[in-house]
Amino acid sequence: MKELFPVKQVMGFAFSIVLTAVALLVYFTDMSYTMGMTVLLITAFVQAGLQVVVFMHAGETKDKGSIYINIYYALIIALFTIFGTLLVLVWDM
Amino acid sequence: MKVDNSLPLEYSTEENNLKILGFWIFIGAEIMLFATLFTAYFTLENRIGNGPSGAEIFEITPVLIETILLLTSSFTIGLGIHAMRLNKKKATMGFFIITLILGAAFLGVEIYEFTHYVHVGAGLQTSAFTAALLTTLGTHGLHVTLGLFWGLFILIQIKKRGLTPETANKSFIFSLYWHFLDIIWIFIFSFIYLKGMM
Repeated sequence: MKELFPVKQVMGFAFSIVLTAVALLVYFTDMSYTMGMTVLLITAFVQAGLQVVVFMHAGETKDKGSIYINIYYALIIALFTIFGTLLVLVWDM
Repeated sequence: MKVDNSLPLEYSTEENNLKILGFWIFIGAEIMLFATLFTAYFTLENRIGNGPSGAEIFEITPVLIETILLLTSSFTIGLGIHAMRLNKKKATMGFFIITLILGAAFLGVEIYEFTHYVHVGAGLQTSAFTAALLTTLGTHGLHVTLGLFWGLFILIQIKKRGLTPETANKSFIFSLYWHFLDIIWIFIFSFIYLKGMM
């Protein structure tokens, strides 16, 4: 039975629960908007990275390089789309 | 076909390797799809017209339940893949079944949430905000629904054919998809719900 629960994944799960709890502080405590967004950005991206590395086994094979380049590329396009739009349409810069 | 026994079953042939790489490229495209949905949401979230705002309609309890359900299902499918690598068919199937049950429960709560929104007057056509919100949540929910059927079919194949390079490869790719949905949910949870209720 024990071999079915590898330490790495159990720790990964525990850590993701902790990150969710930290993110919830934004709701349950009185934080400024900047502070709250900082906390959320950190917890969300750390948790996403955790999933990719621990659970999705992204770095296990010889395709490691291609997989990470692909993900970083997608992420850059995603962030440029989101922040580019916010910059022009919402923040009015 | 050349089978490399030093690697886990799902990577054991060149074709299997390429399928996994191909799926990662698909995930890249999915990241961009959700990025455009988030873009629309962030742009329109304050355009509430005569309808309610996010702070007025979001409820922490169902959101928290959904988060825990999806987070746990992402963990159990990870255990399923681990059991698969130990060549334990029964345990693999068990973890897949738990994952799908958690996924179905998630979907149940989300359906409740949607009917709640419509009840309090936040339908798809109420305002730019509700349209962007329901489209983003709905696209994620649709992915989960699709994943439930996909997972079910893979479960049937494992039961019928056992753990072969083919079924192992399909299961692994499905696990990538499921983890990806969890990642998207983390962003929905953080930047739609928590940000909206802050």
